[in-house]
Parts: sequence; structure tokens; C-alpha cells
Amino acid sequence: MRFALLIKIPVLLIAGFTATACTTATPAPVAKPATAPVAQVVEKPVTAATAVNMANNCFACHGPNGVSPGSIPSLHALTAQNITDMLKTFRSGERPSTVMGRHAKGYTNTEIEAISSYIASLNKK
Amino acid sequence: MSKITRRDFIKLTGAGAATLAFGYAATARSANGPRVVVVGGGFGGATCAKYLKRADSNIQVTLIEPNKKFITCPFSNYVIGGMRKIESITQTYDALRTKHGVNVVHDTVTAIDAAGKKVTLKSGKTVPYDRLVVSPGIDFKWTAITGYSEQAATIMPHAWKAGAQTTLLRKKLEAMKNGGLVVMVAPPNPFRCPPGPYERASIMAHYLKQHKPKSKIIILDPKDDFSKKGLFMAGWEKLYPGMIEWVPGSKGGEVKSVNTRTMVVEGTLEKYKAAVVNLIPAQTAGAIALKSGLADDKGWCPVDPKTFESKLHPGIHVIGDASIAGALPKSGFAANSEAKITASAIVAMFHGEGVADASYVNTCYSLLAPNYGISVAGVYRVTDKGIVQIEGGVSPKDATAGFREDEAKYATGWYASITADTWG
Repeated sequence: MRFALLIKIPVLLIAGFTATACTTATPAPVAKPATAPVAQVVEKPVTAATAVNMANNCFACHGPNGVSPGSIPSLHALTAQNITDMLKTFRSGERPSTVMGRHAKGYTNTEIEAISSYIASLNKK
Repeated sequence: MSKITRRDFIKLTGAGAATLAFGYAATARSANGPRVVVVGGGFGGATCAKYLKRADSNIQVTLIEPNKKFITCPFSNYVIGGMRKIESITQTYDALRTKHGVNVVHDTVTAIDAAGKKVTLKSGKTVPYDRLVVSPGIDFKWTAITGYSEQAATIMPHAWKAGAQTTLLRKKLEAMKNGGLVVMVAPPNPFRCPPGPYERASIMAHYLKQHKPKSKIIILDPKDDFSKKGLFMAGWEKLYPGMIEWVPGSKGGEVKSVNTRTMVVEGTLEKYKAAVVNLIPAQTAGAIALKSGLADDKGWCPVDPKTFESKLHPGIHVIGDASIAGALPKSGFAANSEAKITASAIVAMFHGEGVADASYVNTCYSLLAPNYGISVAGVYRVTDKGIVQIEGGVSPKDATAGFREDEAKYATGWYASITADTWG
């Protein structure tokens, strides 16, 4: 069932993703934290189980397993490298976004890479 | 061994936490895994049931929810504003049952026996569990405002639990004459959906501007601040100049009494005679949490920030609006995030593994008009101070019209995604 869905959608969704990335090409948001950050994100190893805990949060907006039923871009057709690149450039502000810059700042490089690998691995199942 | 069920195994070895890891190993072979009962089928409960099965299909998950259909609070403001039909915010439990193998029981939990590890249902049945997840949402402090009651809510709807109340408030707005005064009574902290009252005021103004442009909305608020206040106030000025007045607590916004016969709402400085009153009462955790001793003296449930296990009753996890979740807001999104971490922790406990690091996320979109969206987003971790926000913030205050339009578009996409993630 899940596999059938994955076969049908990829091409359209990659196109959708690119288009959305372009339409959101507004000035990079300088989001003020609602509350002052009280903890620093420091680089440290990430277990597989922690990566799953982090990645599961993505599905609330990007749909179950990254397959979005609505206007938010899907993730499931992207490679781990694609996802990592996007998250890092959202984080730096190099890639404009509405909300993704605010999220991406909450993760270290190691975490971004682990999250990306997990999401991309769902595509292979 | 293959004929020994998990229950027999525990009987043989003596029931207790120490047997749980072995019990699980035994059941992996007997296809009769540990039992989790989930109370409440909203964003927290439905997500938790689904993600438990997703992580380990061997776990027997029973979801107990009174309603056959669940009408979501998110997007119910758009039903009130006439932008959506209630059917479009109505979720079912079919996929949980058929796709994910959750045993969905439509009944009401009337008692929780924490020592005996079982719940009692209204139908008289009892359901035993190895771990219990309670996701009861909120209930109201009906007596906090003189003259208000469950009965009074049929005249001055709260519409803070979606369903008949949502439709009632919509009908009252439709019946109101052009030029009428709508009074919203906002709740004190903490309450479900922090930006919700202010989004509702915006969407009601959107409706009134088109159909009853001489009308006005006054928000009487016991607080002096609210979620995304700067963005809301700037948006109101731009979209609905002069239509929405916000009266903070320090300027007489606290309401002590209402009269449903005269439709008078009494602030601390002034009285307001309204055509429509939307009174959102002060809140507590859902009644079953209070009744079961899961809540503190303020009416909310203290939990371990890493597992959402109750600090008052071990073996029971309380998630969603009912829990005290540190910096996380009481939102459907936060409940969904808490539910996944809780499911992950429960599975690790059954497997005798360490609980993985918790990481929570929240994003709340609000519409000020169909093409004007704003958001607040946050990433949360657990420190020695509990659940803290490490990054995030609100939409930029000087964003372009295109940015606001994108956020409005993503709000709709968010609803489609999170409801699929929770009930799909």
C-alpha cells in the first residue's frame, strides 16, 4: 500500500518542491525567538532511536512518512543528501523559507544528517 | 512455552515491573504482546496509538474514545467564519483500526485503577493494561465566572471543544444584525491553543467585514499579553481597522460575571451589552485525569519531560493539553509530538532498552484572513529545567504580502498533513 503510493508520486512532488521553494523567495525571515533560548545545541553523536524521535516530528507538517497530502512539500522522494543540504541552507538563511529556517536552527549538523538518513531510508522500504 | 500466554507467564513468575522485559520476550513468540490502553482519541491519543503499532506491531493497543467521529479544534475557527464546513474538520478512526491494527472502542472511561492496572468503562466493562496513556484534553472551570455554566454555554457558546458548540457560535453570528457587538471573553493562562482566541477574533472580523460591516468585536481578556500579539495587532490594524478592540486585564478586561438573559458582560471597569457572546472559560485537564488523581492542585498533570509518565502514578502517561509540558504550548501539534515521544519511550521500556533522547516540535499557524497567515514555531529539548525551547520564533513582523500568503497556504497544508499523521 505504502509502496504503491511511493511509486506514483515522486516526479510530481520533486517538481512541487522546487516550485514552492521559488514562490517562497521572500527576504529571509529574521525570526525573534518567542522565548530566549535557554540551552545550546552542541554537536554530539546521535543514536538511531534519537534520530527517529527527531524525524517523526517532521511528519506532522510533511505528512505520514514524508508523503504530504496537501500544500506542504513532500520529503519522501528526496535523497538524504538533498534533505541535509536543504536543512543546512534553511538554517543559514541562504535558502529563503517561511518557517523552515526557524526549525533548522534547532539541530546540529550531526542531527540534520541523521534525520535526513532516516527519512530517506523510508523511501526504500 | 509457545502455549503459555503473557498473562500466564506473569502469573508464573509473579507480576511486577521486573517481569516486564521477560514478559515481552515471551510474547514476541506468542503473538500476544504487552497491552497499552490509550484514553482519548484526539491529536495526542490517536497519534500515540498509531505510533505504538508503528514501532512494534506486537503491542496490543486499545484506544478508548466516546465519539465515533472526532471534530478538531484546529480549523474550527474557519467553520465559525463560514470558510469551511464542519465535515471538512471531522476525522474518523477507520484507518487506525484497519491500517494500523488499533483496537478502537467507542466508550467512556469512568475510572482508572492505577494499582490494579485496569480501566472501567461506562458500559461496565473493565480493560486491563500494562501501560496506560491518558490524553483527555481539557475541561472547563464552569464556576469561575458568575452567571456562566454548562447551561449558559447554550446561549453564550465557548466553542472551545469543537462540534455542536462550533456550529452554535456560527449560527449566532449569522443571525446577528449588522452593527451588533460581539464580545469574546478570553481565558486566563494556561489554556488550550494560545493563539486560538485571537485567530477567532480575526476570522469573525473577516466574516463581519463582508456581511455585517458596522459590527464590532471586543475581546475582554484577563491577561496583558498573548501569543503572537504584535503580529495579530498589526494585522487587525491593516485588515480590520477599528473593528477589533482588545481590552487587557490591566484595563478592565477581566470578566467577573455575565447575564445570559440581558446579554450583559461585566468587566472590572465597564459593562458591555452584546448581541453575541463567545465566552471561553478557564480550563483544567480533562475530568478523568482529575478524578484519577493524575492532576496537581492547579488541575494539570505533572509528568516526566522525557517520557510523559505521570509523576503521581507510575505506569500511566499523560499527554496533550492535560499535561504540564514545560515550554510546550497546549496545541494539537504539541500533543502529536508528545505522543510520538511517549510511544517511543513505552516501546523502549517494553523492550528493556534505554529511552532515547526526547525532541519536541511545535508549529501553530493562525489565519487573520484566508490569504493572510502567521506562525509561531519552536524546537524543544529536555534539560535539567524540563522541556525548554531551544530555537524558534514567530513570523517576521515586516513580511511581504507574499510571505503571509505562503503561510496561509501552508496552514491549510499543515491541517491536511497532521490529520493524516494522526488519524490516517
